[in-house]
Amino acid sequence: MIKLPLPAFITRHVLFALLIGGISGIGFILFLIEFDHYTSSEEFCTSCHSMELVAEPYRESAHYKPVSGVQASCGDCHVSEGVLSATWDHFIGGKDLLKQIKGALIGPDYDDPVVNALHLPEAAFAARKWFKDRNSATCKRCHNQAAIYGSRPDTLQIHLQDAKQKSCIECHYNIVHRSVPDEKTFKRAAWNEMIETEFGLEKGSAQKILAESR
Amino acid sequence: MKYHLQSLSCALTFFMSVFIVLPLQADKVTLDSSSWGSAEGQACVDCHSKSSAGLTHQWKNSAHALANVNCLDCHQAYQEDVDAIEHEGSIIATIVSPKDCGRCHETEYQQQKGSVHSKALTIIQNRMPALSEHFGSPSINDAGCAKCHGSSVKVRGDGTLDPASWPNSGIGRINPDGSLGSCSSCHGRHQFSKAQAREPAACTYCHSGPDSPDKEVYESSKHGMMYESHKERMNMDSDQWTAGKDYSATATCVSCHMGAAGNMKSTHDVGMRDAWNLNASVSTQQYLIIFEDGDKRELSTSEPLPRRGESISKMDGSMGKVKAVASPQRRRDAMSKTCLECHSKGFTNNAMAQFDNVVELFNEKYARPAQAIMQELYSAGLLTPLPFDEPLEITYWNLWHSSGTLARHGAAMGSPSMTWKGISEVGSSFYGKFISQVREAAGQDKGEALIKKHITSSKHHDWLNHPNKANPILGFGQGKVDND
Repeated sequence: MIKLPLPAFITRHVLFALLIGGISGIGFILFLIEFDHYTSSEEFCTSCHSMELVAEPYRESAHYKPVSGVQASCGDCHVSEGVLSATWDHFIGGKDLLKQIKGALIGPDYDDPVVNALHLPEAAFAARKWFKDRNSATCKRCHNQAAIYGSRPDTLQIHLQDAKQKSCIECHYNIVHRSVPDEKTFKRAAWNEMIETEFGLEKGSAQKILAESR
Repeated sequence: MKYHLQSLSCALTFFMSVFIVLPLQADKVTLDSSSWGSAEGQACVDCHSKSSAGLTHQWKNSAHALANVNCLDCHQAYQEDVDAIEHEGSIIATIVSPKDCGRCHETEYQQQKGSVHSKALTIIQNRMPALSEHFGSPSINDAGCAKCHGSSVKVRGDGTLDPASWPNSGIGRINPDGSLGSCSSCHGRHQFSKAQAREPAACTYCHSGPDSPDKEVYESSKHGMMYESHKERMNMDSDQWTAGKDYSATATCVSCHMGAAGNMKSTHDVGMRDAWNLNASVSTQQYLIIFEDGDKRELSTSEPLPRRGESISKMDGSMGKVKAVASPQRRRDAMSKTCLECHSKGFTNNAMAQFDNVVELFNEKYARPAQAIMQELYSAGLLTPLPFDEPLEITYWNLWHSSGTLARHGAAMGSPSMTWKGISEVGSSFYGKFISQVREAAGQDKGEALIKKHITSSKHHDWLNHPNKANPILGFGQGKVDND
């Protein structure tokens, strides 16, 4: 029988500690994977009413009702791949939860459809920037720019030639959630007026609601 | 003194109208060519050659492409423009308004700007729903009326164009930039062919059917007949298109209403040469008022003639200072210039006189008596103020708006069959429906009194007073002509 000599500092206690630490570590990683998985789900995201409002148009979109059955849930697009990146995104995303809680206590109440709609453009701009900064990485989980055959004869050519230097989000925005103009051409007054008409509010009230909630 | 003032204003009108019938030549673009041919626009062409090949193909065959004018030269927008959108990295607008076209085509824009065409929506915007929505619904307005008259294009808060108001290329469209009209009404995009816009079809797309039966009229006129036979001799592709010089086979709508003839230049103010208002319950001759800011309006000769510098209301309701007035005769003279390239003065004047006679007959025999009766019925509360809820109102509307318009337009453009069709329809409605419906609405006694006052006492309707005068036309009473 071969007996491997252990260094003297590996005592029985150290062995126990390594074992427990290792198992805990694996457990922690498994927990993070499960945590990221659960917190990326539509069920979790829409447990806040404010997110339910955002999800309504999503449920009418091709990402929710695809021809192929390949459905994208919230996290598939809005949370990066890989446990560390996903955890980081959730950590940063936690600020939205804090805002939600703060909103419920002292306002602004993002669960209120009017407040929600008035703040939507800024949320859209931030989300677009997030996609752009990551070179539309989450889109590419499913979509391959070199394999977009599309329904028109030249769709593939456009993606291979004209859009070669671009990432998805630069052309494809306003495809899932409520349409918001690009930040460069966005007009706050026109947006407010649209929301006022939609909710039957008095002219100018949107500006007041925004001022109160900032 | 009053007499002197009148002759002074007549002289003034004459002088001013010389400028009006001789507008600037339809200019070549004077803008420096460094102002177009956007490098960024080439990327649009590359992608759109694939994504919308037909559209790009049209453009590639256009004078624009030949002059290196690309997508972005027309569609570029400023961030602050109401309808500006971001599209694949560029700031663009979907709608290219007359103001945008006017960046290069300044003369045409200035002419078009004040024309009645540009106000095709503005002047009837309040009236239109009474017909389109009572007989149809707002969707009929969007898909019917507004397609010719133009929509008031709404840009929604999310940057998209309200689908009720777009797509639309109506000639009086109210654009997001505030300009009026749409060049692509006549110059189909994206080829914008001159030849295509000179075709009668460019006009009859809208000017056909009961409200504006000019397709029917033109096709059954001598000019239309000659056009059918000789279209290929019309030299439609010619750069300049002066009647008698570049073509002579016949006249199209454009020849008379816009075209160059002799020393008269072409114009994009299409209604400028119209002496009469033929789309009214009672036709009147009309002045063309030119305001100091270049805007224009029609004014019936039954209204007092405004003087230079006087403030009068514009077609959009705002006030404007009068710069010049063109009399109906000067407008008629302008229209006649095209005729004179092929016809003698006597021929032209007599044709115009035959036209005037039909309009006056329609006015005196039908339009004025019917209008007076309607007025009395409304004043007496025997008709509700709401239009079209009583059969009489529908009959009255068709009398002048449909049948009366057909007769008048038929006479204006030399279509014997449509002149007669129009007048026979007017007569059938008037004698067959209008009179009995007046009795219904007013009651027997009041009805009879109105009919006597406005109809049977007039020489035009005296034949109604001789019920025993037989005639074999209906197949009865042959050979027995009874002179009561």
